[in-house]
Amino acid sequence: MKPITRPRSHSLPARLVFGLAVMLPLAAAGLASRPAQAAKSKEELVKILKSVDERQNSQGDWHSHIYMEQKEKDKVDVVYEGDVYRRSEDQKFVILFTKPKASQGQGYLRIDQNLWFYDPAVGKWERRTERERIGGTNSRRSDFDESRLAIEYEATDDGETKLGAYTAQAMTLKGKPGIDLAFPVVKLWVDKDTLNVLKRQEFALSGRLLRTSYYPKWKKAYSESKHGDTWFPEEIRFYDEVEKANSTLILIKEVDFKPLPQNLFTKAWLESKSR
Amino acid sequence: MATFGTNLQIAARSLIQHRRRAIFLGGAIGAVTALLVLLNGLSTGVHETMEHTATTLSSGHVNVGGFFKVSAGQSAPVVTDYLKVLDLVKRSVPEMDFSVQRGRGWAKLVSDSGSMQAGVSGIDIKDEPEFKSVLSIVSGNIEDLAEPGTILLFEDQLKKLEVKVGDAVTVSAQTTRGVANTVDCRVVAIARDAGLMSKWNVYVPMVTLRALYQLSPNTTGAIQIHLKPRDQPNATQIAGRLRATLEQAGYRMMDADPRAFWMKFDTVNREQWTGQKLDVTTWEDELSFLTWTLNLLNVLKVLLLLILIAIVITGIMNTMWIAIRERTREIGTLRAIGMQRRGILWMFLFESLLLGLASATAGAIAGALIAAALNGAHIAVPVSMQLFLMSDHLHLAVHPGAVVRAALMLTILTGLAALYPSFRAARLRPIEAMSHFG
Repeated sequence: MKPITRPRSHSLPARLVFGLAVMLPLAAAGLASRPAQAAKSKEELVKILKSVDERQNSQGDWHSHIYMEQKEKDKVDVVYEGDVYRRSEDQKFVILFTKPKASQGQGYLRIDQNLWFYDPAVGKWERRTERERIGGTNSRRSDFDESRLAIEYEATDDGETKLGAYTAQAMTLKGKPGIDLAFPVVKLWVDKDTLNVLKRQEFALSGRLLRTSYYPKWKKAYSESKHGDTWFPEEIRFYDEVEKANSTLILIKEVDFKPLPQNLFTKAWLESKSR
Repeated sequence: MATFGTNLQIAARSLIQHRRRAIFLGGAIGAVTALLVLLNGLSTGVHETMEHTATTLSSGHVNVGGFFKVSAGQSAPVVTDYLKVLDLVKRSVPEMDFSVQRGRGWAKLVSDSGSMQAGVSGIDIKDEPEFKSVLSIVSGNIEDLAEPGTILLFEDQLKKLEVKVGDAVTVSAQTTRGVANTVDCRVVAIARDAGLMSKWNVYVPMVTLRALYQLSPNTTGAIQIHLKPRDQPNATQIAGRLRATLEQAGYRMMDADPRAFWMKFDTVNREQWTGQKLDVTTWEDELSFLTWTLNLLNVLKVLLLLILIAIVITGIMNTMWIAIRERTREIGTLRAIGMQRRGILWMFLFESLLLGLASATAGAIAGALIAAALNGAHIAVPVSMQLFLMSDHLHLAVHPGAVVRAALMLTILTGLAALYPSFRAARLRPIEAMSHFG
């Protein structure tokens, strides 16, 4: 078993470096924004969203190792380690926590549009909302799942803006009627050249900004099932905009697309991992 | 009747003659009676405080609540189309004094300095004069809670949120469909803590709660039914009857489960049904997570009293044995001059009963006076004890009925304790008793 490696930029100086290198240029994007040549049509925006989704979807099985670091005001930082398994075919999804010891064996299982949480300490399954905060952090199930932006949202053009060195297509996404989403309004900044998501802001129904996410590192891997490259963010940073001091760092490592066992997406499999 | 009077007279004179022993034993009986009155007062006080706090802050004597499930795994503590339900309640519960409707929710409160999770109750303050009269407002104006986008907090919550009247607090929650939402609320009133219940309860106007959870105006959290005082002890029976009435009227009902509504989320989310199901609970159900304090207090009270009563009974029996031994020749003489065995039995029994009645009455009165003095002193209890006593100050509820019962109980116990020694005294043969030395 590998020891928990504390993610980079955990210390204050490192965070400052991150802030200067990534955050400030991105945050300054608003000031640097300039009007787009011409407003993009709805069809063009849908095409961009479909490309964003398509680039990230493996169209088969997925396994990755994740690190999550949760920082909260007046609380000790919590670092989780675990594995994410998912299957495109029927949208099945599993998160199994391996560390810290207190969370070892805990996991989420998504089957038939239901998200279940298992805690080996009590040996009980609890049905949770799909919008559940994973492990009590500021991350949601959808942050680890396949991207479905084109299916779930309708986009309006916010023009092109500069995010540091990148030129980004900004757009406002509003949830389609009849689809239950954690965040009904999302502002998205997509790299114009690579179509990778650079920044995302999620709003409450009331219009209040709840969470800002940054995607500073993207990586690709070849997927046999897709017969092409699948892109994934190696690092995601969530900043709580209501409780300003809270933040979550996600690192996604060791991605592979090998076929997963048939029995993996079952309650029995998750239970067996803590025996 | 004349014999009865004579026996009573002899018993009274005997008590006066052996006054030192009588005072000692009577003092013990009186002290135990006083303790019984005080312990009963404490237990009743906790029970009354619990009922009062619960029925003011979070529950009626009987409640019609329930859950609405958009999907099998997504439940909200909501009663849809509540006016129809209320109409049925009014027709089928003649014991109802008045009713109020409250919104129910669980949300995160975030201020500039801190945050906390809290139960958020939606309230129409104009319809709840009782609520205003019960809470002690230390800062702000409770009437302002009628305005949308306002919030009432309790003193203890200020430690986490560090806000004052006029400051803003963001209330963040998920709607019944799981969509993130927030409302910004201005703190308009800060109330003095009202026991444990106030540690996690905050109040916002009903319209604000509906905006947070995106509920329609004909939706509420629960209909809280307040019963007329004489019907309040029958809350369980009334709840059972109301449950059957609602079922007959075609409403889907949840299985009877004597727990607070927020403890039922796990069970409800595990079940497959969707749509609306109603639930009928009493205030005791809604406070089931706290009644352990009352049960524990009652167990301690019974244990303590059993020990004390055992000591008193042993003391009385011993004293009677000594008295009989000392007065064996007297018994022999009385028997020789014609007193029957029954007379001897009654003589000793009366002696105990008289002693018991006098000392238990004095003890009960003393207990009631001590309780009144303690209530008058308004003694504050430490925070750790507030959890146990459900109040921030000591409150003993001593009712005349309880005082009389305590005095009678100790008198009867004293009589019972004296029964066997009195029998033995009555069975002494006159010749042996008269020739007794020692």
